[in-house]
Amino acid sequence: MNYEFPEAVSERIPNLAPMVDVIMVILIFFILGASLQLTREGVLQTQLDPRSGPSEGTPVNIVPAVKIALEQAGPDDCNIYVMGEPLAGNSFDSLALYLDQRRQAGADTQNPVVIAAQAGVRWKHVIAAMDASVRAGFTNVQFAVSLAGGTPRTP
Amino acid sequence: MAFHPPKPVSMTLNLAPMVDVMMCLIIFFLLASRIVDAEHRPVNLPVARSAREPEPEEMGRRVTINVLPAADDPLGADYVVQAWNGRALVERRLPAEDVAAYLQARARAVADDAGGLRCIIRADREVAYGHVEVVLRGCGLARISHVVFAAQVAKPVAQPHAEERP
Repeated sequence: MNYEFPEAVSERIPNLAPMVDVIMVILIFFILGASLQLTREGVLQTQLDPRSGPSEGTPVNIVPAVKIALEQAGPDDCNIYVMGEPLAGNSFDSLALYLDQRRQAGADTQNPVVIAAQAGVRWKHVIAAMDASVRAGFTNVQFAVSLAGGTPRTP
Repeated sequence: MAFHPPKPVSMTLNLAPMVDVMMCLIIFFLLASRIVDAEHRPVNLPVARSAREPEPEEMGRRVTINVLPAADDPLGADYVVQAWNGRALVERRLPAEDVAAYLQARARAVADDAGGLRCIIRADREVAYGHVEVVLRGCGLARISHVVFAAQVAKPVAQPHAEERP
């Protein structure tokens, strides 16, 4: 009677190729997932005035190239004022056109454009005003922020 | 002289180191995607034609604040941030009066870093500006000068060809 000894344990190596395949697929999934998430949205940047901060105690007086004021007009609309005057056309395309004319007339685009919006104005309108400024070449956009705390309670 | 042919040798690749490396990569991307997911909570962002995708080096040290319409108050807003609770990243809703203190604490934590801290504001397009102003005021108090607003990149408007113009 012949007895065959079992194969030595050390020589039994599991086949890792299917595991590598699966891990590769998972890896590609996570790489694509992360990169797609990262490139989905854009940004608009601003640099707050360095004089702003807690220790100053007094309001910062900025001399703007253009001052844009946004006044709430109904639940989903706003009135646009430039240098205190109502903007002809009252649209953000008109605002971009106006700012472009200012730039062509020799306005320094490094001077700040200050946006002062009422608390109840929709955020999309504020971003539209900033977008119009950047499109016209004024990249230094500042925001007038009231020193009083609190949040808006008016629609 | 007797000739002995070589014994056949079974050649198999040792895949164990490769599996180790790939496991590390998976763990890295798994964690990275969780952080990215946490920072990119679905928000109805405003659209801006001049918005551009950020360069990776521009995103450095940052604090992200989501400003969302409050579920229970049509005029209110929720300030949502991601915080590490010791085990995982979890959402934390801040009251408006705590936003400035939160930003100041984050700014203090990176005070020694020469690059400073950026504040990324991801505000819903329908929230009132006053709610975003709370965050801007907090940035001023925390001396965070670099503020970034998230916006949807508008698709370019198709321009008609010259020969098609009237």
